[in-house]
Amino acid sequence: MKAIEINKLTKTYGNNRGITDVSFSVEQGEIFGFIGPNGAGKSTTIRTLLSLIYPTSGNAKIFGKDCIQFAPEIKKEIGYLPSEVFYYDNMKVMDLLKYSASFYKKDCTSRIKDLAEVMQLDLTKKIDDLSLGNKKKVGIVQGLLHEPKLIILDEPTSGLDPLMQQKFFDLLIEENKKGATILFSSHILSEVQRLCDRVAIIKEGRIVKVEKISTLKENNYKKFKIEMPSKIDKQHFNISGVNNLEVKDQTVSFLFKGNINSMMNKIAEVEISNLWVEEPDLEEIFMHYYEKED
Amino acid sequence: MNMYLHELKAYRKSTFIWTSSILVLVVLLFSMFPSFAREADEVKKLLEGFPEALRKAVGLEVESITSLLGFYSYVFFYITLCGAIQAMNLGTSIVSKEVREKTADFLLTKPVTRTQIITSKLLAAFTSLVITNIAFLIVAITMASYDKTESFSLSQFILISITLFFIQIMFMSLGVFLSVVLRKVKAVLPISLGTVFAFFFIGMFGATTGDEKVRYMTPFKYFEPSYIIKNSTYEWSYIFIGLGFVLLAIGLSYYIYGKKDIQAV
Repeated sequence: MKAIEINKLTKTYGNNRGITDVSFSVEQGEIFGFIGPNGAGKSTTIRTLLSLIYPTSGNAKIFGKDCIQFAPEIKKEIGYLPSEVFYYDNMKVMDLLKYSASFYKKDCTSRIKDLAEVMQLDLTKKIDDLSLGNKKKVGIVQGLLHEPKLIILDEPTSGLDPLMQQKFFDLLIEENKKGATILFSSHILSEVQRLCDRVAIIKEGRIVKVEKISTLKENNYKKFKIEMPSKIDKQHFNISGVNNLEVKDQTVSFLFKGNINSMMNKIAEVEISNLWVEEPDLEEIFMHYYEKED
Repeated sequence: MNMYLHELKAYRKSTFIWTSSILVLVVLLFSMFPSFAREADEVKKLLEGFPEALRKAVGLEVESITSLLGFYSYVFFYITLCGAIQAMNLGTSIVSKEVREKTADFLLTKPVTRTQIITSKLLAAFTSLVITNIAFLIVAITMASYDKTESFSLSQFILISITLFFIQIMFMSLGVFLSVVLRKVKAVLPISLGTVFAFFFIGMFGATTGDEKVRYMTPFKYFEPSYIIKNSTYEWSYIFIGLGFVLLAIGLSYYIYGKKDIQAV
């Protein structure tokens, strides 16, 4: 049984936003990244999974059950952290968390205390008085307090300082080790790269690619940077498999996918003064996906 | 149950404020009655000087105004106005505040159905109104027995008083329906005040022209105290229409809210 199984999910609004034929699945125990720029359809997909909005066509299953039909049952196992957290302002943090816990039929008091300690969250304060980052912490504790089997995070790191981000990621990894599946949506690639096993890339409401992070990074692309003593003929490197070709002063840089030998031959044909071959980071690969059709 | 208690707590303050305001209004109005009764002839003469249209519009009946129930029927109109605003506020708030305070995501990602959410909220609002009405009834009866110059029918007095609750339920249902239908309610008060006063003026207008049909259009005119005093019962056709309206508004609210897309903020 898969943790999430999305099948040709489509949501159209009056205007053009929405998602079209989104299909991918997430295995149990996986940390799955969901990346795309703002407005690409990440939140729409996630909100459909949570039955906050209803699909126009297609369906999604969570732990083998239809996410609309069995919504209340499924949600017992889901912890959700929205990108922007707003809670009942006039409540104290502890009261809100207790209210949240009261929806699940288990005692979460000690768990709340543990999580709050890790995240350095003051439980006695009023939510109204909290900074954005601290509100986010309330959201994190709220999302994890019932030890959900599926954690859905929609751009969760905004407002957290790097130190807290690290603690948060450690928490997620710990939950993952205990068996939780994580769907992590973000437009910040480095954090997806750090955490996820596989990733789905969404663009303008459609899934462009579902791939292992390692495949994306290692197998496909090399980043070349070549420094040359003489004037550079840009066209020399413009062969198939080359992307993001750029010439700046005496250096040329590009991403290359294909037989590395043919590229080495190409480089051997010209006089070079220096050469760097690197693993590109996800950001660069990602930009490539997005720019391809322009 | 947890949602019901949470909601009830959330309305605690507003229920307290509205209930106290209505009670103060009741005490104030009743404290005027003794002087009315004492100088009955003077008052009647004075009121007869008012244009008939005006008297009809505000529901003044010169013959009965100096009796306790007559006086009560007149001032009760203003108590229902206050009560209607409270109920409409409450009804409009219960769903729209989740959107406005952006807590809809919190509630709707919990393992509950939307039907359960609406039910808890409605029950909490209902409870608030019951509390208000019980307090109102106790204080009104106390004031009336304190004020009375001659004996009056307690059962008629209670029959009239209870219509506050009926009117409130109607306005609450209307509020709930509006807040479910409208995409986003930025502020509750303009909507509730606007609606309540619209119905209030429809009622005044209808009373001036004496058009019976207009009565069906405003909850304020469903229960005429003069009819209740005369017959010791309600006009049942209005009760059924009111009940039908409430059931329809609430039923549609459940249906629409169940189908609604909850948009990201």
